[in-house]
Amino acid sequence: MDFTLTDEQQMLRDTARTLLAKECPTALVRAHIEDPSVADALWLRLADFAPLAAGPLSDLCLFVEETGYVAAPGPFFATTALFASVLAAAGDDRAQAAQAGEITGTVALAGVDGVWRPNDDPVKCFVPEADRVDWVAVVEPGPTVRVVPPAVLSTRLLNTVDWSRRLFEVEVADVDEASTPIDGAALERAVRCAIVALAAEQVGTARRLFDMALEYAKQRVQFDHPIGSFQAIQHRLADLSLAVERADAAAQYAAMTVDADHDDARRAAHVAKAAAGTAATRAAKDSIQVHGGIGYTWEHDLHLFIRRAYGAEAWLGTTGWHHDQLAALLFDA
Amino acid sequence: MRLSFGPEVEAFRDELGTFLDEHAPAEALAGYDFADSGAETRVDLIPQWARDWQATLFDHGWMIPGYPRELGGRDATPVQTLVYLEEMARRRIPRSLHFPGYAIVAPSLLEFGDDAQQALVAPAIRGDTVWCIGMSEPNAGSDLAGLQTRAELDGDRFVVNGQKVWTSYAMVAEKCFVYVRTNPNVPKHRGISLLIVDMDTPGIDVRPLRHISGAANFAEVFFTDVEVPAANVVGEVNDGWRITQGSLAHERAGLWVEGVCRLESTVQSLVDVAHRQGMDHDSGVRRQLAAFYEQAASLRALGYKGFASFAQGSSAPEHSYLKMATSELGKAAYELGMQLQGPYAPARDSERGEENGRWANMFFMSFANTIAGGSSEIQRNIIAQRVLGLPRA
Repeated sequence: MDFTLTDEQQMLRDTARTLLAKECPTALVRAHIEDPSVADALWLRLADFAPLAAGPLSDLCLFVEETGYVAAPGPFFATTALFASVLAAAGDDRAQAAQAGEITGTVALAGVDGVWRPNDDPVKCFVPEADRVDWVAVVEPGPTVRVVPPAVLSTRLLNTVDWSRRLFEVEVADVDEASTPIDGAALERAVRCAIVALAAEQVGTARRLFDMALEYAKQRVQFDHPIGSFQAIQHRLADLSLAVERADAAAQYAAMTVDADHDDARRAAHVAKAAAGTAATRAAKDSIQVHGGIGYTWEHDLHLFIRRAYGAEAWLGTTGWHHDQLAALLFDA
Repeated sequence: MRLSFGPEVEAFRDELGTFLDEHAPAEALAGYDFADSGAETRVDLIPQWARDWQATLFDHGWMIPGYPRELGGRDATPVQTLVYLEEMARRRIPRSLHFPGYAIVAPSLLEFGDDAQQALVAPAIRGDTVWCIGMSEPNAGSDLAGLQTRAELDGDRFVVNGQKVWTSYAMVAEKCFVYVRTNPNVPKHRGISLLIVDMDTPGIDVRPLRHISGAANFAEVFFTDVEVPAANVVGEVNDGWRITQGSLAHERAGLWVEGVCRLESTVQSLVDVAHRQGMDHDSGVRRQLAAFYEQAASLRALGYKGFASFAQGSSAPEHSYLKMATSELGKAAYELGMQLQGPYAPARDSERGEENGRWANMFFMSFANTIAGGSSEIQRNIIAQRVLGLPRA
């Protein structure tokens, strides 16, 4: 395995960092809590990178990781990591338009149990950005897919702690739109891509939480010393950095296996999501502990990333669910 | 980023595989289990087959592939060396049953030794000379720089007095790397020197020390007025601390591949134990094992990722991460292996429990892994201070 980034990948990462730091400050994430339309301007900038959805997953993940670092709101993830790949799997032309950044879209697939597999539930749950995208791809048993505008759906916002990713319950009633069949394996692969991309995003969020804790530990003085000189803080941060680093490596590896259609891709995706979810939620708890009281305030930005971490942990399969899938592959294969 | 290193490197792997298929003795093929659970009943610390195998590897350029021919290698690239370690670990074939000579003495002498000392390198790697390392002392463990064994220069010789402990292979070694205090009047890191001492020098008393599983493969070594030629100092007098830093790095550098492979095979064995014990449908056990698998798999990825930055010339903090993580996880995995046996967890019985008490034995032996070679706490200090840049207290 060679994890060396190509020059182009290194440049992509640098560009993403610079762009997102500028275009998605925490002020925007906060404004988005009250007014989701503030994400529209951000999408206009990020749409330039939608073509990543047509390339290797490894490259898309490099970009998505940086969106996790800033807790970016808006339709980028839903459009590139879900909608474009599901439509491509269904052979729908709108995949190209999504990959060109010309349209936005999302996918309605999971039922009330939150598992992203075709199901009979009349209400599809955990659908990101369902009210503000151009198209919703509804996946039904068969599997088949129907692509409809949000206006014809009844949508209900699921109120969660994470306002940066808005999830909806979607009911598909009396819709005329014809459904087209989609290959089950191709659908599974598209969902796997989304899971790995979300793992990469979580790594970004974990890294942000970690960086904030590290920075604070270096500057906060108590007992006449920076608290980062105390072993209790040092060992907590050392352990946390291990969790973040191994999640990062696991997510990159998973993207490589998906790109190569490697036998290990299924396991690697479960490993990546579990490792990233564990790292991000641990980073959330450790970071606020290192910050102490100041991290508990509304004014401090920390909670924006804690929220994102817990929202992402529960979406596209919790750590426990991914462990169960792994166990099935280990024990029952 | 890519999954394989390319055809030339895979050709190198094939060449190694052909060599191993032809030459590896049966004992080496069973080597890992031998080294793990057989140690307590092993009479001969370095059996003849292991000596012959190490010499064979050296003579064919497969002992340390990155070294030149005359040092038992073949000028392999770092990537080829990684593939070598990966393949040896995957096949569970040990290179040697005594690591100090090839892993610590050889690289240290290559970097710091004079011409006469360079001549000791090849026999150390081939295993013709068995070495031990006199570092730890009763009052100098994690605080290695606090070592107190004294060496006083008297004409053309040093006179050494003091005690070392946890000295692996001291009872069979011919030579020892002894870290001594040559100047007690300066800050502790600046008064340490490294001496090469022949173990048959009068005044050396080796007392084997049984460890927790009952075996003895390390010893206490007492030095009483031991005379060592002044020419046996390695590098400059009072500059020995620099060498300790180097030799510990050498000790850690290649260990992660082996650590990860061992962890992965332990997880697979645990799945088998769970099946045999009828615990394979227990959701708690299933999740625990999936979590172990997740950690082993992600640590492997982290190792390769660290290697990528190492190969590009950056320092690779991953060694500390992997040393700490694989040793801690291994301990937890062996404990789970015991727990899966319910009331027979502590059994070491041929009629009851798994594999003659293998899991309990491995668990006990694994206590050493989070202590030796820089304890987990020392690794966390290294990560916090050298990787994360946190200030020292």
